[in-house]
Parts: sequence; structure tokens; C-alpha cells
Amino acid sequence: MRNLGMLGLFLVLPFALAFGAAAVDQGVTALQATVMSATVFAGAAQFAILELWTDPLPIITISLTTLAVNARHLLLGAALAKWLNLVPLPRRLVTLMVMSDANFADTHKNLKDGGTDVGILLGGGIVLWTFWLIGTAAGAYAGNLIGDLSRFGIDVLIGAFFVTITAADTLVPKNRLPIICAIVIAVASVNILPQGWGIIVAAIVGGAVGAFRNA
Amino acid sequence: MPDQLDAYWTIAVMTIVTAFTRIVGPVVMSRITSSPRVEGFLESMATSVVAGIVATYVAQNGYREALAIVVAAAVMLITRKAGMAMLAAVITAAGWRLLA
Repeated sequence: MRNLGMLGLFLVLPFALAFGAAAVDQGVTALQATVMSATVFAGAAQFAILELWTDPLPIITISLTTLAVNARHLLLGAALAKWLNLVPLPRRLVTLMVMSDANFADTHKNLKDGGTDVGILLGGGIVLWTFWLIGTAAGAYAGNLIGDLSRFGIDVLIGAFFVTITAADTLVPKNRLPIICAIVIAVASVNILPQGWGIIVAAIVGGAVGAFRNA
Repeated sequence: MPDQLDAYWTIAVMTIVTAFTRIVGPVVMSRITSSPRVEGFLESMATSVVAGIVATYVAQNGYREALAIVVAAAVMLITRKAGMAMLAAVITAAGWRLLA
């Protein structure tokens, strides 16, 4: 959770500022960009559709792109189902609406370490959502006032956050083969599969390795 | 610039599609009887999603980001402290930009 706060401030915020500024550049109004961040709340998909934002709007293409880039949510939700399905329905729905990669990784690590509280998925999600919303609005309404943040190195925080989890996972021997398979497949498919699908294939193959081990 | 109504309609459809992807996982799993094989699949899949995200991130970026990720992984394995690892990655990336 503490790491998520840091991630929200130093990563989600700059990423959101960049999205807000890029959206306005592409002809999305500042209000539309802000509404999109509040309701869709999926950074990779939102960036991906900016290139499709033309007049008239190709709504089918935009929908399918959104589906493709966000399809990994199915896997995240499935992995947490054992805990999520014990939560009362209204709270479960709210929790799922703010589930994203970062709070998923944080929560799953916690549950594997023996935790039982899926509430950190909701808490972490609200933190990330708030930063995403504020950052998008700031970027959209005042984007050109903000310079290049990569000179401070904070653009690598997202990758660094995820690799700390993978590095810790490698300490458990049974995780090693699935991780190696996932890395090889994800790298090999970067230039072959549409955006978002490499991670899905990597996750399914990694999962299959785990399933066979328990067969 | 697209029509306002079309724009908000498109955002609404994106919202519905994304919400669908978030809800479907637990719904499907509530209909599947668990077994050691299913548990093994889900656990390894969760580990693999994160590994896949890292690998994709490195593959889509340059040497600067790759070095920062390697440094973060090394610091994590040595210190077991995620905050230290993330800080080391940021310093590496900022240092690269300073020297490059």
C-alpha cells in the first residue's frame, strides 16, 4: 500500500498529465478527457485509442481496441476471484471498477503472503483512480505548462514497481518456470501480436505450466 | 473535432467494455469448481501476468529503461526492499539522462 501511494504520486500522476496533454492534442476536449479517465480508468487503453480519435469517430474500432488492451482484466479478476467472491456484491462491484495492474499486483502479493483482506485492492484502487483523475484534468487544462518528466527518471517507476514483484516471485522455485515462459513469450510477441495480447498469451501459458505441475 | 454527442457516446461504450473486462473474471470463476489444477493455473497465471508486463515494458523501451529494470531487480533480490529497488531504478534512469 505504501508503495502504491508512492507510485500514485510519482508515476500515475505524470502518466495522467501526459495523457491529458496528449488527448487535447488529438482533439479530445479537456472535459471529455477528464470524464474518460474517471469512467474508463485504464491508462494503456486510453492512450491506445487516442490515435483512433478522428471525425467521424470509428466507434467499433475504438471498442475492439479497448477490449483487446483491457482483456487482461479478465485474468486479473479470475486470479483474485477466490477472495473477491466472498465480498458483498455492491462492494465487490466497486472494487472491480478500480482494479488495475498496480493494485492487483500489490493485492495478490499480499494474499499470497498469507493476507486475507481484499480491501487493499479497493483502497489502492481509489488512490490510483484519484491520481489518474487529477492528473488527467491538470494535463488536459494546463498540459503545455508541464515539461519532460523523464529527466528526473520517474518514468521508469512503473516498470520498477512490477519488477520488484517478479524478482520476489523468483525466490519461490515453483514460480521460476512460469516466469521464464512468460518473459520469453511476451518479448517474442511484442512485434507480432496487437498491443495487450502478448501479456495475455504469456499469462495463459505461464498459468498452464502451473496447472500441469499440479496435475 | 468529433461531435460532442458522438464523443460522449464513444466514452460510454469504452466504459462499458472496460467494466465488462473487470467483472467477467470473478463471475466465470464462481461457476468453475476449484481443483489443485485450477489453483495452480490461477497462481502461476497471476505471477506470469506481472512478469509479462515487465518483459513487455523492457521490450518496448530502450537501454536506459532496461538498465533501470535490471538495477531494480538486483536491488530487490539483495535488499528485499521494494522502495529501495524503485529508488535505485529512478536514480539509474535520471543518471543515464544526465550523462547521455
